[in-house]
Amino acid sequence: MMNPKLYLFYGLTVVGLMGFAQYAGWSLASVNEAKVIPRSVRDNPGSYRSVYSSYHHYTGGK
Amino acid sequence: MVLSGPKKEVPAVAVRSVTCPGCGGAVTIRSFGSAVNVVCGSCHSVLDAQDPQVKILQKFKDAIRQNPLLPLGSRGKIRGILFEIIGFQHRQIEADGQVYGWGEYLLFNPYQGFRYLTEFSGHWNFIAPLRTLPQAHTPGAQSDRFYLGERYKHFQTATAKTTFVLGEFPWQVRVGETAEVTDYVSPPRVLSTEVSSDKEINWSMGEYITGTDIWQAFGLKDQPPPAVGVYENQPSPFGSQPRKIWRYCGLLLGLALLLWIFHLSTAHRQQVFSEAFVFDPAANEASFVTAPFEFEGASTVQVDTAASLHNQWIFINFALVNEETGKAYDFSREVSYYGGVDEGESWTEGSPRDSVTLPRIPAGKYFLRIEPDGDHTLGKIGYSVAVIHDVPNSTWFLIAAPLLLLPAIFTTWRSIGFEHRRWQESDHAPATSSSSSDGDDSE
Repeated sequence: MMNPKLYLFYGLTVVGLMGFAQYAGWSLASVNEAKVIPRSVRDNPGSYRSVYSSYHHYTGGK
Repeated sequence: MVLSGPKKEVPAVAVRSVTCPGCGGAVTIRSFGSAVNVVCGSCHSVLDAQDPQVKILQKFKDAIRQNPLLPLGSRGKIRGILFEIIGFQHRQIEADGQVYGWGEYLLFNPYQGFRYLTEFSGHWNFIAPLRTLPQAHTPGAQSDRFYLGERYKHFQTATAKTTFVLGEFPWQVRVGETAEVTDYVSPPRVLSTEVSSDKEINWSMGEYITGTDIWQAFGLKDQPPPAVGVYENQPSPFGSQPRKIWRYCGLLLGLALLLWIFHLSTAHRQQVFSEAFVFDPAANEASFVTAPFEFEGASTVQVDTAASLHNQWIFINFALVNEETGKAYDFSREVSYYGGVDEGESWTEGSPRDSVTLPRIPAGKYFLRIEPDGDHTLGKIGYSVAVIHDVPNSTWFLIAAPLLLLPAIFTTWRSIGFEHRRWQESDHAPATSSSSSDGDDSE
C-alpha cells in the first residue's frame, strides 16, 4: 500500500532524476572514458588497442 | 466514531430481579418496562418479562450454547453515550451450502433506547434503528437503496435463523425464529432490513467499528478476536488512495513529458562528422583515424554506423580521442544482419544500422580511431560512420514513465482485489472463483 504523499515524493524524485539525467547527458551506453592515450596514435593507429578489442564477436544468424 | 471506556462516576442503572420458574435461578432485568422477553442465564429458558408470573415461553432444548464475546452487564461508551449490554443472540444464515453465524448484542441506555453491536469473524458493526425509510429507485429487494443522499448497493438477501438467545429483549424472541434479512452497503455503513415471519419490517443502519475500539469502549482486558477476511461494509484500507495517486501520477507524467519535450526541442543535433569506409579483411592493419571535428560545448554525442551487410557482421572498436588532452572514450559496436528463407518464410535478424548515444562529452577537438573487424572468410564490407553532437536522449523518459505508472497500477490492483474479496461473499459475486481470505486486509 502506498501513501499518496509518499508517492508524490517518490514521483518528484523520479522526475527530478530524469530531468537531471537529461540535463547532465547521462547515457546507458557502455563507454570506457577518460583514458589518456599516446599522442602517437594519430600517426600510428595500431599502437593503441581499446579495451573492447578482445570482445567475442557474434557469428550467429538463424 | 468516538469511543471511550467506562467511567467510574457513572451511576449504576437500577435493575430488578425475577426468579426463573424453570430452574429457580435469579434473572436480572435491566431495561425496566422495555423488556418483553428475558432469557434465564442458567437454564436459557425464554421468559415473559411482562408477565408478573414470569411465564416460560420457550425452554432451552437443542439450541447450541454460544458464549458471548462481550459479557452481559458490561458498560461502555460508544459515540459518547453509555450503553449496557443486556442481551445477546446468535443468528446464522445458509448460503451456497455453508452456514455463516454471527453474534448480536443488544445495548441499552435508559435515555437513548436500544442499539446493537454485531460481530462476524472479528468484524463489528454499531447499529441503530432508522427513523425514516430508505428510497429505492426501482422496485425489488435487490435494487440499490438511497438514504440521506447516499447510495447503498444491494449486498445480500438471506434467511436468518436465531440459534441462541441470552439476556433480555424488547421483542418476542425465540430460538428457531427466522427473518429475511437484506443488507445494502456503502462502506463503512450498511443498511439492513429485516422482514419477520409476521411481515413486520425493520430498517437499521450499521457502521463498521473495529474490535479494538469495542474492547477499549467496554474496558475489556484481553484482545478482541482478529478480523478474518473482508467484511461487507469494511472500509477499504486503500480508501481514495488510488484516485489521489492517479491524480498525482497524471501531474508527474505531465511534468516529465514537458521536461522531455523541452529536452527534445533544445537539442541541436549537429552532425560534425560523416564518412564512408571499406573494411578489408585481408588488410594487415585495420585501424585508422578520422579527420578531426569539433564539439562546441559539452553535450551528448551520437555515433551512427551503417553497413552494407548480407549474412555478415562487422564489429567496430571506436575511440573518440580528444586531440588536445589525449583523453579517449572507448566503445564498441557490432552491426550484424542476417536473412533468408526458411520453409517458405523469409526471415531477417539484426539490423544493418546501429546508433549509440555517448554521455556528455566535453567541448573540444576530437577524432575517431576506428578498428573494424569482421568475418575474414568473406569479402570487403562497406560502412559509414556519422557523429552527431548534442542529441536528445529519450531513455530517461522511457524509464521514468513506467516508474511513475507502476505504483499507481499496483495500488489500483490491490484496491480492486480488496473490493473483489468483499463482493465475493455477496449475492453479486464476481464470476471468477478464486477468492482469498488470508486476512491481509483485516484491521
